[in-house]
Amino acid sequence: MSFDWMKIPYALLTVFIVFNYGLLLGALIQKIGARAGRRHGIPIWQNYIDLIKNYGQRTSITHGVMFYLGPVFRLTGGIGLLLFVPTIYGSYMFSNLSFAGDLILALYFVFFGTLGMALGAGESGHPHAAIGITRGLSQVSVAELPFALAVFAVALQYQTLSVTDIVAAQQGGMLNWTLFTNPLAVAAAMLAFLGSMMRPPFDVVIAPQEIPIGPPTEYHSAYLALMQTNRAIFPVAKMVIYMNLFFGGATSWPEFAVKVFLLYLFSAFVGVCFPRFRVEQSIRWFLIWAVPLGVLAILWV
Amino acid sequence: MVSALHIITAALAAAFLMGLLKEQQRGLAFGITLVTLAFMSWISAGWLWTFASTDTAAVEIFTAGTQPPFAINLRIGLAEAALTLLINLTGLFSALALKDTLLALGRRAMAVWLVAVMALSGIVLTRDLFNLFVFFEMTVIATAGLVLLSEHSKNDGQALAAGFKYLVVSQFISAFLLIGIIFAYHTTGTLNIDGMAAAAPLLSGSAAQAFSLAFFLIFIAIVAELKPFPANGWALDIYESAHPAFSALFSAATGAAALFAVDKLLLIGGDAWLPMATGIGIITFIAANLLALPQTNDRRLLGYSSIAQTGLILAVLGQRDILGDHTLYIAGGLLLSHAVAKAGLFWLSGLIAERGLEAWAALRGHPVLIFAFVSFICMLTGLPPFPGFYAKWELIHLLAGEGRIALLGLILLGALIEAGYLFRWFGYIMKREAPAEVVDNAAHKVVAVIAALAAAWALSLVWGELSVLQFERGNLLLALPLLFALTFLALDPLPAWLKNTLAIAGLLAWFYLTYTEYDPLRMIFAVIFLIGGSLTLLASYHAHGQRSGFYPSAMLMFAGLAMLIRATDTFDFFVAWELLTVGSYFLILRGKHSEPHALSYILFSLGGAFLILAGFALATQGAPHFDLSALADLVQPLAPWVFLLLAIGFMTKTAAIGLHIWLPGAHAEAETDVSPMVSGILLKAGLYGLIVLLLTMGRQDFYGVELINVMLWIGAITALIGNLLAIFQEDAKRLLAYSSIGQMGYAMFGLALMNHLGWLMALMFVINHYVYKSMLFLSIGGVAKRTGTREMYRMGGLITLMPLSFIATLIGIIAVSGVPPLSGFGGRWIFYNAILTAEARLPMVIIFLAGPIAFLYLFRLIYTIFLGQLKDEFRRVKEAPFWIVLPQMIYVAILLVVAVVPGLVLRHVDSYLNAFFPNGGLVWEGSTITSQFGYWNPVAIMIIVGVIFMTLFAWLLFVNRRAQKVKQFNIVFSAERPFRPETTHFAWNFFAPYRKALGFLTLPLATMFWSTVTDLLHTAGDLARRFYTGNGQTYAFHLLAFVMIVYLFGMGVRP
Repeated sequence: MSFDWMKIPYALLTVFIVFNYGLLLGALIQKIGARAGRRHGIPIWQNYIDLIKNYGQRTSITHGVMFYLGPVFRLTGGIGLLLFVPTIYGSYMFSNLSFAGDLILALYFVFFGTLGMALGAGESGHPHAAIGITRGLSQVSVAELPFALAVFAVALQYQTLSVTDIVAAQQGGMLNWTLFTNPLAVAAAMLAFLGSMMRPPFDVVIAPQEIPIGPPTEYHSAYLALMQTNRAIFPVAKMVIYMNLFFGGATSWPEFAVKVFLLYLFSAFVGVCFPRFRVEQSIRWFLIWAVPLGVLAILWV
Repeated sequence: MVSALHIITAALAAAFLMGLLKEQQRGLAFGITLVTLAFMSWISAGWLWTFASTDTAAVEIFTAGTQPPFAINLRIGLAEAALTLLINLTGLFSALALKDTLLALGRRAMAVWLVAVMALSGIVLTRDLFNLFVFFEMTVIATAGLVLLSEHSKNDGQALAAGFKYLVVSQFISAFLLIGIIFAYHTTGTLNIDGMAAAAPLLSGSAAQAFSLAFFLIFIAIVAELKPFPANGWALDIYESAHPAFSALFSAATGAAALFAVDKLLLIGGDAWLPMATGIGIITFIAANLLALPQTNDRRLLGYSSIAQTGLILAVLGQRDILGDHTLYIAGGLLLSHAVAKAGLFWLSGLIAERGLEAWAALRGHPVLIFAFVSFICMLTGLPPFPGFYAKWELIHLLAGEGRIALLGLILLGALIEAGYLFRWFGYIMKREAPAEVVDNAAHKVVAVIAALAAAWALSLVWGELSVLQFERGNLLLALPLLFALTFLALDPLPAWLKNTLAIAGLLAWFYLTYTEYDPLRMIFAVIFLIGGSLTLLASYHAHGQRSGFYPSAMLMFAGLAMLIRATDTFDFFVAWELLTVGSYFLILRGKHSEPHALSYILFSLGGAFLILAGFALATQGAPHFDLSALADLVQPLAPWVFLLLAIGFMTKTAAIGLHIWLPGAHAEAETDVSPMVSGILLKAGLYGLIVLLLTMGRQDFYGVELINVMLWIGAITALIGNLLAIFQEDAKRLLAYSSIGQMGYAMFGLALMNHLGWLMALMFVINHYVYKSMLFLSIGGVAKRTGTREMYRMGGLITLMPLSFIATLIGIIAVSGVPPLSGFGGRWIFYNAILTAEARLPMVIIFLAGPIAFLYLFRLIYTIFLGQLKDEFRRVKEAPFWIVLPQMIYVAILLVVAVVPGLVLRHVDSYLNAFFPNGGLVWEGSTITSQFGYWNPVAIMIIVGVIFMTLFAWLLFVNRRAQKVKQFNIVFSAERPFRPETTHFAWNFFAPYRKALGFLTLPLATMFWSTVTDLLHTAGDLARRFYTGNGQTYAFHLLAFVMIVYLFGMGVRP
């Protein structure tokens, strides 16, 4: 197998760009959310400060091997997801490592980090970790369904599972985007998107008020820093997939930045408008509102 | 050759001799009895040998020196010789078993005994109608006498009452018989059976009418001797109250003689009377089996079973118009199976002190007697290699060939009910608490049982040979895998490790001998069954001591599996199927609490097997041989029915939804090393069946419904419900069992897609499921062994104590869930590619939902056992035993290798599948696998993930190098210190919100349905039981009512 070694520095460059963009974007969205709630919000560089602080912490403990590896799994999942999908369409430099697999690889690799993180947090022995995970898994199992249906519809529509080919099929004007050629699939996927962004009404998983302790507290210092790094990369990686599948992909970094920002904003927008669901409520909500759209989408293709 | 007449004269002479003996010379009298019976048996045996080995015609014996009709003639042919041998041997061994009673009662009782046996032989031998009556009368009187004599040992009045009722009923029967004979003689002018058969068709007008009425009376009288439903209360009281050794004679010999008498009569009556025989027979078969269901008294249950079997054989005799030359083979096979098994069971019953079925648990300490019991019930149920199996196979095929489907269905239904109570009984023996009373193992009583056991296996050999001669089929008993499995019976006293080594060597040697025969598809199964089987058997080295009974059962299952993949025609396939079913049943039954689950397993499996049998029989349409590949040639309207029957049959084995309720208990309660065998390996047999079916029959249209689409839906729903149920289990092994149901649903779904990649996915599931489910069952089994519980919430925090089990579980769940980079992902990738070309899209919705649910139960499995809070009582738990861990580590290695180079296996299958599904295969370029839609590079994935992971890990190690390990309770717990691990380990009712949202999908509808079915059967049995009041008058009324009903049904439609 011949391998172009230049892929490695290119991939690292992608990771670097996305990492910084993700840190800034996260803070920006948080600030927008705060402003919507008539609060001032955090400074835009707050995430950098937190990250440096966490790497710099001197005390650190461990509950065992899995606990130690949890954040590693987590961040591997984030970076891997980003690199398995081409970020910028038409650019060899930013096609990353997408030769390893197609859309299915990316979709299943999402679970790599989640699973590892869940196991790591589990070993801490903190009951809240397990509670959060059961909630998360319960919710995601149903929230993923409309997304899976949408992906299926899109793959059927373009007769391919290759992300590059799907983006290629959407070139040549906005009206070629899946958003317009297959609106049902996009609608279903966007509802599923809400379920995976850890924002209201579907944020009972991390339950920022009720479970303030638990994993984030057990994971401190460098562990937490790794998780924060992932927090910056992972959502962007996920939104890259959405952007590629439904919104024509991005041919340049500015286009990328705008599209990802708007996608992120969508979840934040819904989040500030609606109160939180309990898990069983969100399960029912997805089954009643999002899944039928997905079913229609695959029948309609 | 000694004349067969001496069977009668010897008995009479000996009976007279008894009169000359002194009352005290009881030992001598008993000796004479035995010698006489042995002599009679020897005569029969001599004739049997003559007829069997040479092509001799039946021999006529004339008593008065003249020809019939002026004299009485007897006849001995093959059937007569076999039956008299059966009768005389039963008489001999029953006399042995009855030794104490006979010695106590003295010479008169022995004389009666001899007369009874003689009279039964006479019934078989005679060709004269009046003589038949005489022998029947002698039987009746002798029987009544012997029943009354049974009073001696118990003295509770029961036998007295039974004997009296018997006499009352017999008088009715005699009256019918005698009146009938008088009028028959009047119209035909002869008493000779053959003469009458020749004369009857020539009659006309009123003579014909009179004869037909006369014949009716004779017929009904002889049939009444067969104890048909409902005119059989008297017989049951005899079975219940008489000495079991007498009941053995009454069931085996009297039943056989009376059946043969009916057979002779039907010769006279001609084909017109056949439907009546069939009707009475089948109703008796079903009703008696239903009635046997609620019985708790062993002898009464055996009585019902005897009546049922007699009914079945009567029904078979009624089918002689289509059975033709095979009547003897079929009816004989059923009759001898019934007689030998029932005699054996009655003799066994004589060894047991109490009458409850549970009391038979006393047998448990006696492996030989257990083996005898198992042989007898398998013989009764018609399992291979016993004669009943061959007979059933031919019978069902002939019935299907002639389109007598209703009868076929009823026979299979009755057989299933019978299997139900027999195997339930076996469950009691193996699992219920043994009573205080020990087994009476007096040599003379045990000898009888052993003789029946020997006869059972000898008959199997004979019927096997007959099957070779008549149908050019193999003799099952000589099939190498089966022989190998049976050898372990003899090796049972050896230590377990030695037998284990032999077993592994046997599996590998068989693979070596046969591996050239398999195409790539079969090769997958051969490797899983044989190599995979020996890998799983490594775990069995952990067992100490002798492990009695394990290896014969396990090897029987493996023999069935080995024969299954080599089978080319339907017969071999079905034999293998039955063998693996029975073997796995015994294996499952070994679990501590598996009694009800093993029963439900065997019932579902036999039900499925009967459907398969019916499907094959329908497909064959009377042809002697039917290749599996010929299934492809079937056309409408037959084909969809065959498809349906076979598919449902196979789906009971893969536990498709609705038919799945046996699986969780059976897999969860099985022993640690048995669970991976029955889950990882055995389930694949069902998939193999489906593959064979779909490869040959493919798409079938059933009244406008595309059956393959139905299967697609069933697969999808099975996957969803299996996974959903798995997440709510508290018991780790049950969780894995439900997960298997879900996984099988995926595989079925893949097959039902009927495209190249769907099949590839299904086969990948076959391999993956074998590896990870075996591994998970072993690791969880090891944990359960160490902790003494399977309830996950009781465990927790075991990661540091059982690291290897944890690693196996971790790798296992990653593989199951399909997360890259392990091999499960390959399956998912192929799955997505497969569905893109599928026609039906709606079932995908369900299967998409099922997918992520797997994460829920998998996480629960690993978290609640290995992570979270370690409990105080488990602080000293050790890693699982070496031999349980070793195969797990091998599986881990396999999973990693398959993950990196899936092409190792899949490439060959992929190209092989091109022959069936030419389009849509994969392209294998270097390490990249490309489909029509996408691509995937397992090596690249593994490297990329590995590099990123190791880099980050190194980074963390660097920045976090001072991390210190803290104690268990050193967590931030709302500024409190947790109270106890039990209250801190979040594990019970783990997915409560899920239950709230989707719990309604887990209502046990299937369980409710099946328990209603069994309840209904039991209730029907209980209701019918009210007929039997125990009152002699009621019984006489039953008989009359029976005669009237048969008259109205039978004669009403006759001219």
